[in-house]
Amino acid sequence: MLVQMNRHIATLIVATLVVSMGGCGDALNSSFVYSEQTQALMPQAQKGFPVKGDVKALPGARQLLDDRFGNPQSLNAWSKLPIDFGGVTGTVVAIPDTKTLILNFDAEVPVQTDEPLKLQFVTGPAAAIVVQIDKLSEAWTASLSGNLETLIKAHNDNNQGEEPRSIPVAGDVVVIDGGGVLQHGRGLYMRHCSHCHGTSGDGNGPTAQYLVPRPRDYRHGVFKFTSTNDLSKVSRDDIHRVITNGIPGTYMPSFVPMLNEQNRHAVVEYVRFLAMRGEFERKIAVELSSDFSKEALGSRLEAGDSKEDVIDNLRDFLAVDMTDSLEFVSDDLASKWTTADTDDAVITPDVSRIADTPESRRIGRELYLSKAINCAACHGIAGKGNGPQTTIYEKNTVTGELYDTPGLHDVWDNVNQPRNLTRGIYRGGRRPVDLFRRIHAGIKGSRMPSFKILQHEQIWHIVNYVLSIPFEPMPGHASGVAAPAEATPAATDAAAAASVVE
Amino acid sequence: MKKFWSLFFFFWPVVAIWSCWIAPARGWWFATEAMSPLGERIDGLFYLILGIVTVVFIGTQFALGYALWQSAVKGEDQKAQFSHGSHSLELIWTVVPSFVLVFIALYQMDVWAEFRVQSFYPNQTQEDGPQLEFMARQFEWRVRYPEPGTELQNQPQPGDLYAVNEMHVVTGRPVKFNLRTDDVQHAFFAPELRVKQDAVAGLIIPVWFEIPKAGEYAVVCAELCGWGHYKMRATIVAESQAKVDEYLSNLQSEQNFDGVVTVDDEDE
Repeated sequence: MLVQMNRHIATLIVATLVVSMGGCGDALNSSFVYSEQTQALMPQAQKGFPVKGDVKALPGARQLLDDRFGNPQSLNAWSKLPIDFGGVTGTVVAIPDTKTLILNFDAEVPVQTDEPLKLQFVTGPAAAIVVQIDKLSEAWTASLSGNLETLIKAHNDNNQGEEPRSIPVAGDVVVIDGGGVLQHGRGLYMRHCSHCHGTSGDGNGPTAQYLVPRPRDYRHGVFKFTSTNDLSKVSRDDIHRVITNGIPGTYMPSFVPMLNEQNRHAVVEYVRFLAMRGEFERKIAVELSSDFSKEALGSRLEAGDSKEDVIDNLRDFLAVDMTDSLEFVSDDLASKWTTADTDDAVITPDVSRIADTPESRRIGRELYLSKAINCAACHGIAGKGNGPQTTIYEKNTVTGELYDTPGLHDVWDNVNQPRNLTRGIYRGGRRPVDLFRRIHAGIKGSRMPSFKILQHEQIWHIVNYVLSIPFEPMPGHASGVAAPAEATPAATDAAAAASVVE
Repeated sequence: MKKFWSLFFFFWPVVAIWSCWIAPARGWWFATEAMSPLGERIDGLFYLILGIVTVVFIGTQFALGYALWQSAVKGEDQKAQFSHGSHSLELIWTVVPSFVLVFIALYQMDVWAEFRVQSFYPNQTQEDGPQLEFMARQFEWRVRYPEPGTELQNQPQPGDLYAVNEMHVVTGRPVKFNLRTDDVQHAFFAPELRVKQDAVAGLIIPVWFEIPKAGEYAVVCAELCGWGHYKMRATIVAESQAKVDEYLSNLQSEQNFDGVVTVDDEDE
């Protein structure tokens, strides 16, 4: 895969390839919005410093982000990230002359297509140069439509100030039709998703203001309904499941049969791309904000520092510390998103579901009400989602200030009503395993905590109880009594016996 | 110039005759073939009305052209014939259309009753009861089947099976389902089956159709319901009873999935 192949690549520019517009015929003219955190940085931290004498240019937060992710018209595929950008990766074997390349690919390449094949150099002296292939033989000998020397000269002339490119050498990594998946995903996302989730994935598209609950803001890199454990990111399958099934109880609809499998895959990759972009932006802003936000600048000026001092500090920080920070942030991002797709991240119960008997429901209800677990604190004694915690005034964990509105707030600063369990609507899916995972991992970003400390048997008892709540004759009062409609004859007997004993 | 206008008005009925003549051979036809018996009868009514309207159009246009032509060839000195207030003419153009309209009104009644009036629904649908609930909401269709072996209740039941945007029904016999909406007004429209029915908040509306041929049929929303109206597409999968049962049993095991894959499951 593209990603794994290029993991070793250090230089950024070299590792990104530009996914240009075109193909879908979408005449878009939109841009990614910088987050509030980025915009709260002092202007120099946002914009960086241009070349000054023999001092190299120092990119600011905006350019650091744009270099890696581009904008909707011209997306950058940063190969460090575990995203299927599309395209087939290969290497240059030999360059007999400036119009011919002998290549080697690790997967099948569409030899005959209607569109001319485009090849981009990913590494080496010609990195980022795009050439068009006239003819690709079965033995991977590519005749180019232009002369490499001319193309490289044109590129260098157009990009003065950048490192000049030269003729590629054997061993350079190339990609054919790179970025196809991302480009396709962008087209579909802009058409079907962006009006709620926003062009930048900030959950603030034009229709978003009319919706309760609000559409997901991907930029935290946090998704609520996952199959992965509490410390892991969302997996591809999880996003795919939400696009396929929708989220009952919210405005997120199912996109089947409108989007076929291939389209849904492209949308999943583009959503992950936006999520990683947002998360990267957030982390860069965190690196800079403690010392170089507008607020920090203000207090340093008050403390008597001169503005020049602060700017010199910023220069030093961008020149020295930022390199390490960037490497740490991007390694962390890549590894977390990669791990989320591994089997280890998925929550699999140790034991099969405990039989859904009145006894199991009774134990479940006891756990639900118990001091240690205390589901009722938020979900209420009758499961109506109206526990005492829903009326308190919470502190914002980031700013430390009290929220204006009572109730439980999620990381997106929206009030989260704990689920009303009597309605039988389960946003993250209604399979027993979905509820199990919800309890085990919690709901990421919300105040529903992880209960992974519980034994899996205990979780199953709670699941059995929760699934029975909508059918209780008197929610909150039934203990050990099954709803008549669903109990098997044997169970009904057991229930009757149980109530007699009481 | 007078002759030009009379010829101009003669031209259109000629075009109408010409297009009626060549339409079947060229495949200029409305929509696709109806995929249900009732749909065929609805199409029959449609083409009957189309036929009547075509004959009336051609006849009146020729009459108009003829009248214009008569005046065009008359000399300037000749007086026009004045027919206003002709009792017999007025009787003709009132009585003939009313007969046509009354005929259409009576002729379509049994199709309409079978399509819309519950007591005229096919007996089979009365015996079987509704097979599933099709709940429209912004912007998708939520499907609820009763637990296999039980009957559909209006309130969700513990064993109910849920799906989204996909309805599996048996071929070759009338199938009834309950159409509902969770929010605003939507409309269930299956173009190939010629079934269109609004889903109205607060109402449970039984809708039926019969699909003789196995296959997939499209459902769209036909009532502008919001910005995501176009997203409301679904599929009717018509198949044999065995396949529907298999689908439901798969749905049931998927819905009861507890995340633990045993060796037995993998063997299957």
